[in-house]
Amino acid sequence: MTTNTSENQFLRPPSDQEFEPVYRESSYYNPLDTFRLPSGQDRHYQQQYGDMYFLRLAKLKPAVEEIAVEAWEGFSIAGEHARRVERVLDVRQGELCWVAGTIYMDMPLKPNILDDLTKENYTLAPPPRPTYQDPSHPELTQIMLEDESGRLRLTGSTLSSTQLATGAIIAVLGTENANGDFEVIDTKVPDLPRQPHRWERDEVPSTQKESSKGKIAFVSGLSITGTSSDTLALELLTDYLLGYTGSSSPEQDDDLPPNPSAITRLVIAGNSLGINMTNDASAESAAAKKKSGTKKYGYDASAYNASPITQLDSFLAEILPSIPVTLMSGETDPANFSLPQQGIHRAMFPRARAYCAPPPTGDAKQEPGWFDSVTNPWEGDVEGWRLWGSSGQNVDDVLRYLNFSGNEGNGASTDGDIDARVRIMEAMLRWRCGVPTAPDTIWSYPFQTHDPFVIEACPHIFFAGNQPRFKTAVIEGDMPLKLNGADTEMTGTDNSNSGPRVRLLSIPKFKETGELVLVDVQTLEVEVVKFGAFAGQEDKK
Amino acid sequence: MAVADYKRYLAENVLNEQRTVTYRSLGRALRVHSTLAKQMLYDFHHNENNKKPNSVNATYILTGVQMAPEPATPANGLQSSAGTADTIPPSSPYISSSMPNQDGPADEVAVSSVLLVREEDLDDAKAMFQSIASIYVYSLQPTVLQDLNVLTDVARETLANHAQEDPLEYGPSWGMIQNKNVKRRTGVRPPVPVPAPAKTAAPVRKPTTSEAPKQPTAETKDEEPKSQPTLKREDTPSSTKSAEKTAPVKKEKSSIFSSFAKAKPKAKQEDQATPTPSGADSAEPSASEDVVLDDASEDEPDELFPDSGKTTITSTRESRKEREEKLRKMMEDDDEDEDEAMPDAAPSPEEESNIIDQPPAKPAEPKEEVIVRAGRRRGRRQVMKKKTVKDEEGYLVTVEEPSWESFSEDEPAPPPKKKPAVSAPRAKAGPKAGQGSIMSFFAKK
Repeated sequence: MTTNTSENQFLRPPSDQEFEPVYRESSYYNPLDTFRLPSGQDRHYQQQYGDMYFLRLAKLKPAVEEIAVEAWEGFSIAGEHARRVERVLDVRQGELCWVAGTIYMDMPLKPNILDDLTKENYTLAPPPRPTYQDPSHPELTQIMLEDESGRLRLTGSTLSSTQLATGAIIAVLGTENANGDFEVIDTKVPDLPRQPHRWERDEVPSTQKESSKGKIAFVSGLSITGTSSDTLALELLTDYLLGYTGSSSPEQDDDLPPNPSAITRLVIAGNSLGINMTNDASAESAAAKKKSGTKKYGYDASAYNASPITQLDSFLAEILPSIPVTLMSGETDPANFSLPQQGIHRAMFPRARAYCAPPPTGDAKQEPGWFDSVTNPWEGDVEGWRLWGSSGQNVDDVLRYLNFSGNEGNGASTDGDIDARVRIMEAMLRWRCGVPTAPDTIWSYPFQTHDPFVIEACPHIFFAGNQPRFKTAVIEGDMPLKLNGADTEMTGTDNSNSGPRVRLLSIPKFKETGELVLVDVQTLEVEVVKFGAFAGQEDKK
Repeated sequence: MAVADYKRYLAENVLNEQRTVTYRSLGRALRVHSTLAKQMLYDFHHNENNKKPNSVNATYILTGVQMAPEPATPANGLQSSAGTADTIPPSSPYISSSMPNQDGPADEVAVSSVLLVREEDLDDAKAMFQSIASIYVYSLQPTVLQDLNVLTDVARETLANHAQEDPLEYGPSWGMIQNKNVKRRTGVRPPVPVPAPAKTAAPVRKPTTSEAPKQPTAETKDEEPKSQPTLKREDTPSSTKSAEKTAPVKKEKSSIFSSFAKAKPKAKQEDQATPTPSGADSAEPSASEDVVLDDASEDEPDELFPDSGKTTITSTRESRKEREEKLRKMMEDDDEDEDEAMPDAAPSPEEESNIIDQPPAKPAEPKEEVIVRAGRRRGRRQVMKKKTVKDEEGYLVTVEEPSWESFSEDEPAPPPKKKPAVSAPRAKAGPKAGQGSIMSFFAKK
């Protein structure tokens, strides 16, 4: 165990030392409005969802076909050349061909809107299921390829080694067999879209581009429940972010936790409030009703527990004077339920909202607020890097499509599947679709004119909140030809001649792990800071 | 400088009053830098325990890097274990050429820890660290803390006690990391003092929350000496509260009145009544103010921040009068509009207020009964339907007969011509009209 001088900085009698004020690095922030829905009157819910699939296919089909042409042109088996087929219905039996379309998976346990309608329980959200697969009847899972003309059932051993989910756009190569099923030989995905250069959207003087350094902090799943028993780690996080925790020694040491003054922005990826509060509240209100006997309409103060949101508000109000915050809504937050979730309304934050942007006046594009309550998923530029992130519902849902029949034994398999989760995140990027399973199994707004879930520009950091554990990975797009070798280290701005590189982040639930994820702005390297209490003798009693 | 007083402060709080003092509560109370506060705690702890062992107990914060294997569970026993279950690879890797990349960097991620430790566990905890960047005293208390979460209550209490202090102003003296770019909207002070610890009964808080939207909206353009807004802040809620307590009946009444505003005689009564008390009686206007506020918080995001200069706290009286004036105007407008919209409508004005939520249904040829709920039109309409029946002689006869069919149009259908004119003022007069109509609905039946 090594100790250094800064250890003793605090363990000594008070001195007359002068304390230099510490200043935080500035943050460049340029969010995108990709997922903002029209407000009020202009938001309609009676459109058909089919349009979304149509739009998605129209957008991604050219991309995947381009890749398929490159790979399969001139491909032949036993003298038969693979033919390109425009529509799914044009596939002829026994003919080697390839076709592009949308994947649709029919699974035994998948919630089915028609079932819900016939049983007339369509007002409630279906209870979440760990998986849509039926492990005892794997054959019930059917994978189909569809486009506007029709559907084609896919079979073949290749499929079982490829993870697919409803809504992904792929191209398949194969033949139709005697059963009318399509025997798949190979599949292609659209792969990573074009990645913008750093600072592409920002007009920042080049001197600042050079000097820009710092870290972006990510946290998710604060799960504040309003009780005092669970916020110790949050308290420590506050202290750390405000700079009370660290030593003020400016020189950076390897042993030191990253200097909090380098953190330029905190991104909170959803689920800031705990989930069980709603249950408690309803139970309480039931009790209250019995007690009082009088019926109250509208707002009932006794049934509404304001303490979680009050606590979140004071947490935000405490750190905001020092650090800008981007707050994404999440599954358990007070926002709309269907994706894209809109930002938590600032009226919920009587104290923190002083740091918000002023209320929108007209259509004028305004500066983002110091405290920005944004949508989920969310896309934007921070320090010149493109970020694309969600609060985790997209990953959770795709995971239900995948086959984990091997580990059904240990019940709640939410923990060990972290590798799968990162793979899913990669797959979503390669599908160019951030929420492929919307609108099938994730509730979604019925978009009519565009599908915002299609990832048009490859982000530099792709994150998903509320995952069981922290995990990170770097993925690269396949570049047809790399002039300077594959092992060139990408150094921020100088990535013009290398393919897209994406940092994937699976951000754990803070409530459970106490982990804060820091991404270095220059290298996109990742660090983790853990907060917690030591379980000593007192706890073991 | 309060530095010299720290011993007395700590002695009073820790030894006499048996309280827990953290470096932050000390720092806030004495207005000293966090580092200095930590040193004070250390010094006090050291001295007292030299005098009399175990008279003061401390908790420490350790920061540093924990041992390499980093088993999550023993280190953070208070946290639910983050999973020791072995990772299950999916049946086969996803198609990818670059996937091998993912394992390398994942293992290299530097994990540093910030750990809260009790005094007696300090050595155990230290042993778990590979290297320690800093140790400092987090809190002092007379006895061993059974539950470390008590510390969060201390922190919250501190926050509540010092809610009036503007962090932007005092931040440097506390040792907070400064940010030069911080943007805070002008004129908005940290409004409501933190509604004291969570346990407060919810109903008590209700007035304060309803109060909350108002204060930030207030534009204190000319920033007066700090003390004054502070005073006001403490003042207004209580006065409003008392107003609500003393004159709930009155308030109720007034809102009912206003709901009947359509009824002309009553509206007139109201007109005469309101301006008079607004000057003298403070309870009445505050009640009506509340009503307006409720309206604002109801759904219109724009209304939430009417800091367009409509309201000023400094000249409350004036603005109240103005508002009253406006309200009255609105009501009058309503009346007129209503009359225009319903030129030949049979129902009396009173009945009219029942169906204020509905667009003025025109007695058009295909009759319609339209109920509008939250922008959704539903109802029945009478249409002429062709019906083909076989008559006694066996001929097919087509008759046109009126029949009812139900319909629902979710699209905000082409609004009836008069609708905007009526709905616009109504939206502003909001809950008065809305609530009133429900009340009167029950009253009528």
